[in-house]
Amino acid sequence: MNLNRWTYAAAVALMGALVLTAMPVTAHHSSGPFYDSSKRVEIQGTVTKLVFKNPHAALYLDATDSTGTKAEWQIELGAPASLVRTGWTPDTLKAGVEIKASGQPSRAEGTHGMCCARITKPDGSPIVAGGRVQEEQQPPK
Amino acid sequence: MTGSNQRASWRVWIAAAAAVAVAAVLPRPDVTAQAPGSIPDISGVWDSTTRSHPTNSEKIPWGKENFPELNERALAYQKVFDEAISPKYDCQPSTPPAIEFDPYMLEITQMKDRVVFTYEKDDQVRTAWLDGRKPTILDIGVQGFSTGRYEGNALIVETDHFVFDITGFDDYNGIPSSPQKKVTERYWREGQELRFTVTVEDPMFLRKPTSYTSRYLPGPKGYKLVKFDCDPEASRAMIKFLPPKYK
Repeated sequence: MNLNRWTYAAAVALMGALVLTAMPVTAHHSSGPFYDSSKRVEIQGTVTKLVFKNPHAALYLDATDSTGTKAEWQIELGAPASLVRTGWTPDTLKAGVEIKASGQPSRAEGTHGMCCARITKPDGSPIVAGGRVQEEQQPPK
Repeated sequence: MTGSNQRASWRVWIAAAAAVAVAAVLPRPDVTAQAPGSIPDISGVWDSTTRSHPTNSEKIPWGKENFPELNERALAYQKVFDEAISPKYDCQPSTPPAIEFDPYMLEITQMKDRVVFTYEKDDQVRTAWLDGRKPTILDIGVQGFSTGRYEGNALIVETDHFVFDITGFDDYNGIPSSPQKKVTERYWREGQELRFTVTVEDPMFLRKPTSYTSRYLPGPKGYKLVKFDCDPEASRAMIKFLPPKYK
């Protein structure tokens, strides 16, 4: 592998790590009606399950928010059809794994949902390594 | 071989020859409308993700310049629209003019009598018939009935025979479409890119036709479409986060 290839691989891996820790809701529905983009919530807790099904995966965890309130949280992720291209698998986050997440809270009263989440290990390091298939390119004007 | 077996064998050969003769004189679809060599090559796996264009949203691909001019009926539907009733949450698939822009891979296969569009999103397959066939009552459906033709360096696909769809214009603005919806797509190559324009007309809801133009980039080499297999339970999992519009 020459230097260019190493440089390319490193760039792809870095991009993948960034993408894998900030998961927008993609292309099935608008997040606006469900989640409040003007607010941000941070939680830390233990994964209970990862449902890896289209049109969007969901991560469930028992977590505590910054006010100390404990609850079962549901984090909406992208479509597995897209996630697999960034290195995710159904086993990426297994039950019992400790994580931190921050993102937009759900709107309906009494619910504990989150979208567009940044997910890391408790020390802030990325959950998984991996890369995207291709690098970003600008769309046509 | 006995005499009776030989006679049976001859009868099989005669029947087969008769079947071939009958097939030869039956009317067949016209698949010779396009002169060989003038057909643009648009086949392959194409990338409709954010590499190619921004992700769809309330303002993309229908923005300030091309947002449809809605009639009173459409505005009334839009006003009462409740996100929770959107059929996509029960895995009803994306349809034209939205599915072309959804940020997933798709594969285009060109055959003599048809062009097949296979979308990773919702596992949908659309067939644009090139052989001049006409739709029947059985061709009414969520993806409608498509015919195609090559025009210059482009493939033109015209689709109608849609069913009423409460979110049939797009996924984000609560605009319905009627069985009078007609979608015209134009696909052409520009270097390695596949450009396309999607035009939609629906006199039941739109005052005039509107369109968007975008592009696909070539898909990753050797990429195989992923099975989407939409799960209704997963699809509805976040509906509880939506403040109810109606009680």
